[in-house]
Amino acid sequence: MTSVPLAARHGVGAAEAAPTPAARTAGLRKAYGDTIAVDGVDLLVPEGAVLGMLGPNGSGKTTTIRMLLGLTAPTAGTVEVFGRPMPDAAAEVLPFVGALVEGPGFHPFLSGRENLLRCAMAEPLLPGRAGQRQLRLAVDDALERVGLGHAATRRYRGYSLGMKQRLGLAAALLVPRRMVVLDEPTNGLDPAGTREVRQVVAQLHAAGTTVVVSSHLLSEIEATCTHVAVMNRGSLVAQGELADLLDAGTPTLEVSTPDREAGLDALRAAGVAARAEPGGLLVELTGTDAPSAVATLVRAGVAVHEARRRRTGLEELFARLTEDER
Amino acid sequence: MTTTVDLAAQPAAGPPVPRAGTLRLIRSELRWVLRRPRTLVALGLLALVPVAIGVTLTLTDGIRAGGGAERGGPSLLAAVAGNGLVLPVAALSITMVLLMPLVVSMAAADALAGEAAHGTLRGLLLAPVGRVRLVMVKAVGVLVVAVLAAGLVAVTGWLTGMVLIGGDGLVTLSGTTVPLGTATLRVALVAGWVAAQMAAVGAVALAISAATDHPLVVMAASMAGLILFGVLRSLSALDWLHPVLLTEGWISVADVLRDPMPTEGLLTGLLRAGCYVLIGLSVAVARTATREG
Repeated sequence: MTSVPLAARHGVGAAEAAPTPAARTAGLRKAYGDTIAVDGVDLLVPEGAVLGMLGPNGSGKTTTIRMLLGLTAPTAGTVEVFGRPMPDAAAEVLPFVGALVEGPGFHPFLSGRENLLRCAMAEPLLPGRAGQRQLRLAVDDALERVGLGHAATRRYRGYSLGMKQRLGLAAALLVPRRMVVLDEPTNGLDPAGTREVRQVVAQLHAAGTTVVVSSHLLSEIEATCTHVAVMNRGSLVAQGELADLLDAGTPTLEVSTPDREAGLDALRAAGVAARAEPGGLLVELTGTDAPSAVATLVRAGVAVHEARRRRTGLEELFARLTEDER
Repeated sequence: MTTTVDLAAQPAAGPPVPRAGTLRLIRSELRWVLRRPRTLVALGLLALVPVAIGVTLTLTDGIRAGGGAERGGPSLLAAVAGNGLVLPVAALSITMVLLMPLVVSMAAADALAGEAAHGTLRGLLLAPVGRVRLVMVKAVGVLVVAVLAAGLVAVTGWLTGMVLIGGDGLVTLSGTTVPLGTATLRVALVAGWVAAQMAAVGAVALAISAATDHPLVVMAASMAGLILFGVLRSLSALDWLHPVLLTEGWISVADVLRDPMPTEGLLTGLLRAGCYVLIGLSVAVARTATREG
């Protein structure tokens, strides 16, 4: 398996500009008995990036994240967070990392606020002399931030799946972090909740926080991320900036027109590759650009209703990266 | 809020690694332990045992009074008649055999295995609470349950004994009478000793708790261990093994009812409990250090 072919072309250059990446793994491998969960992963999380980890179920996303956080010791390879080795430097690194891994974990008999208060009391960044009142303030802030203010006093037992997920997010956001790791943060959330998670990620990004989000929802990643890492069967098959990865395919112009035959003829006469699709034409922009392609069509008297650049789309990219090896 | 922002701006810089105060962690742990409904129910039921015994003895009045010169539980019960201060000691000796270990191992089961099962252990490890510190904080929680269990039984036993049965001072098994104050001190002493034995059970249960994600396994293993110890103790062919069995010294509880009070059995029992605590905590720390979060 050729690992990170796209990273070589697109990702590394941009990342090299930043001196210390927020997190980096080298030759990361984790085996559970005979099962190899993760193998040869060289992941790079640039400081300040929003990195989306993408991959089918069982592709090793969560295992990689768990090793990033020092929850699982790698079988081989190294992990560095903020330039410090993990899990050895966990005590120095983890206070600055917020995480929601493998779903929210809370006690059913305590209310949402009590559960968060318990997290807050273990939180190193909330100052040692912080009175109960100050801890409560931090807790209430976090609850408001994820829209759980109204349910703060209800027992966790009675929370819906989405509310549980929000509480997990609140725990990760209790104090300002340098890096936030969210494993499937939108699981169980309704569309409104999904939008809110997106907003939270955008806020974190705007504040300069590095965010690592894993998701199987492609649209989620496409909407929120600056960087993407695609995993498949325990290996990292691509990583780099989202825009670069999306443009990696042939650039295409989508033209909607009723005169498809006339359009095709005109483009072929001009030496531009194109094909018909329902409702219009797909024009390949190799050796030409969008304005001249449109001009060619218009000069030939073809009615152009709409023309827009079509990106490869994460879905297509994902399918290409994860399916061509079967 | 501003201070935390400053900290976030220059993370992992230099030696002063931020960490949550140990006292704050212990406070948080105790809040959690003492709020859990099942801990409260278990402790409450345990506290009712001496009351139940007292009421039963009062209602069935006149059981062979003074028949209990032998050691052990049932004979202690006989000594309770007309001698209220024997009740807390009898109640402790009865509950410490199975009921109290059940409550303590339940607390130990929830402490690590239960947290792992709920996914909350991960949160503590990510906070991060250091793994060794985590076990220590958990051990304090279990210890508090052990002390509360023994203390509650002693207190309700003492109250029930004084109210329902009464008696002026304590008539010892040796026939002498100890004044009320001294007798109460002796009850407190034996309660502390029982708490130490329960701490030993708790430490071993905590070690099991550190090795599994299933609280039920912890309770089952603890109970099986105690029952196994009972079986081993009944086999005289294995008497060379008896000194290392935790339950071997538990019969010494009745020693506080003698005059003068023999201390050797109690001290040996304390030492034995200390060994179990050390071994249990060491294993718990070792297991937690390598555990998957």
